[in-house]
Amino acid sequence: MSDIKALLAQFDEISGNPRKMLGEYLANGEKVIGCFPVYTPQPLVTAAGLVPIGLWGGQVNPQVSGKYSPIFTCSILHSCLEYGMSGAYQGLSAALMPILCDTFRGTSAAWRAGVKDIPLIVFIHPQNRKDPGALDYMIEEYKSVKTALEKIAGKEITNRALANALTLYNKRNAAMREFCALANEHLDLITPVARHHVMKAVTFLKPEKAVEMVGELNKALKDQPVCKWTGKKVILTGITAEPDDLLVSFTENKVAVVGDDLAQESRQYRTDYPSANSALESLALQWLEIRGCSLAHDDNNTTRGKMLVELAERTGADGVVLCMMRFCDIEEYDQPYVIKMLQEAGLLAFSVDIDQSTTDSGQARTKIQAFAEN
Amino acid sequence: MFAVGIDIGSTASKAAVITEDGVIASKAIVPIGTGTVGPARVFAEALDRAGIARSDVKWITATGYGRFSFEGINDQKSELSCHAKGISHLLPQVRTIIDIGGQDIKVMRINEKGTLVNFVMNDKCAAGTGRFLDTMAKVLDVSVMDLSGLSQRAEEPAEISSTCTVFAESEVISKLAGNVKLENIVAGIHKSVAKRVASLVQRCGIEQQVAMSGGVALNKGLVHSLEEEIHSRIYVHEDCQLAGALGAALYAWDHLQPA
Ligand code: SF4
Repeated sequence: MSDIKALLAQFDEISGNPRKMLGEYLANGEKVIGCFPVYTPQPLVTAAGLVPIGLWGGQVNPQVSGKYSPIFTCSILHSCLEYGMSGAYQGLSAALMPILCDTFRGTSAAWRAGVKDIPLIVFIHPQNRKDPGALDYMIEEYKSVKTALEKIAGKEITNRALANALTLYNKRNAAMREFCALANEHLDLITPVARHHVMKAVTFLKPEKAVEMVGELNKALKDQPVCKWTGKKVILTGITAEPDDLLVSFTENKVAVVGDDLAQESRQYRTDYPSANSALESLALQWLEIRGCSLAHDDNNTTRGKMLVELAERTGADGVVLCMMRFCDIEEYDQPYVIKMLQEAGLLAFSVDIDQSTTDSGQARTKIQAFAEN
Repeated sequence: MFAVGIDIGSTASKAAVITEDGVIASKAIVPIGTGTVGPARVFAEALDRAGIARSDVKWITATGYGRFSFEGINDQKSELSCHAKGISHLLPQVRTIIDIGGQDIKVMRINEKGTLVNFVMNDKCAAGTGRFLDTMAKVLDVSVMDLSGLSQRAEEPAEISSTCTVFAESEVISKLAGNVKLENIVAGIHKSVAKRVASLVQRCGIEQQVAMSGGVALNKGLVHSLEEEIHSRIYVHEDCQLAGALGAALYAWDHLQPA
């Protein structure tokens, strides 16, 4: 038990201090690549001998980024730009940015104008994923990322090195999925905040370290007696479920988080790199296999809803909370379809507004409380 | 022994007292909300009207935006649950509730037991809220109580296209400058609020019957606009403003019942 507490404290520390992690990597003489969310080809970074670190912005009231970023920029990209411009990301050798939405497109230009010391490596995921050319397109995009990373690393990324990295990332994904399953058996220990910190911390860790730390946590959890949770259970869906205050509201109302479909959390760990003719093809194929994510176009607009209903059935969830990142049109468009399907399945579904720039979670608290009371 | 519900909103405080037998003993409304003397005053007034002392009260449940800050309560409940319970008591046939509060809009669907089955709230935006109406009344230099009568005398509602409170304010000012009749401007304001609320109603889904709770429901002009937008009759109980407090009082009363 004390093991678990100590391990969770480590995850808390890491998830709350990415700057400290960056400092440690740099002090070690390592080169670090910032990875904008989500679906950045991190195995390429690892295969190049570089360190990938997630860029999730943070709870900051933007001051300098307003020069380039309009007010209606989602708070993740707004705060990332703020950190970039104010020097908080100093030391990164480059930042990898996928253009998954219009906000990214605008932010890529803003970054180039406002953050002179961190070069941006931009690439595009093909949204028409059914087209036979989609795989070739993705491979070509990743090739250009590979070339840029090789320049920074001063060495070639071999097929073998990339294949090894893919295996490592698949192992990490498996460890994260196992953690999610185990967390549900120990909802007394893995509170919504603790769960989130584990998921987020991993985005700042080298994959081998993540496998080691999460593996250790999983082992410790397995040794604990299974907890019979009597409160309500929810699933979170959206981009992120931050700040911690929001998650604390669940605990205050005896509501456990038993699953998630968050871009910052499970969406990153649920699709493995499949076997393919080459490591690069495997890396690219993963994008074509992603399902039920607002960032990856799907002709069938019921996929995400179906997935959530199934997840709720599997985990015994009573409801689904749509964590709506403010100004994220991509998530907004998904919302009506998803809510409709959830309601048809008899689940209580409601949305909460997510904005990193404010600490006021009053409305969300009311909604969570109402959910718990009914 | 008595049960008390107190609803501490952002612009008004409301309270209801219920007897041991479940009868409403008194109700009170004070037009100032959280962070003021409103909550204490409304509580004292409700007790006074019921002719009881503080020591006669066995359980107090608070609700509303200021529910965490009132001293001496026994528990607190979300305003969503309290409005649902309150309206279900006042109008048992109702399955959809619209509540326009000082700073938020809530749309709730409830079952026959008054339990929430679905709800939608606007997110941190004053568009369509009571605050929006207050701001507009100020710009027009009329009392918010007069908005209803004015809009009912309108010939043709003016077009207010901005949902944003700040932009709508300048739009209203330019209508005034363009000599558009006051009545038509007010009707236009109601229509713009109604459109905003209707989109939330659509998100939540409508089940008959529909009722409105909260003080804004007393604005007949707005209720009429909303009826047009959602194509449904809206029932308004005379105690609509007290629905939250009454719901809280009913929750408090539940505690007085033997387990
Ligand atoms: S997908 Fe949404 S949250 Fe992500 S960058 Fe675009 S607007 Fe922001």
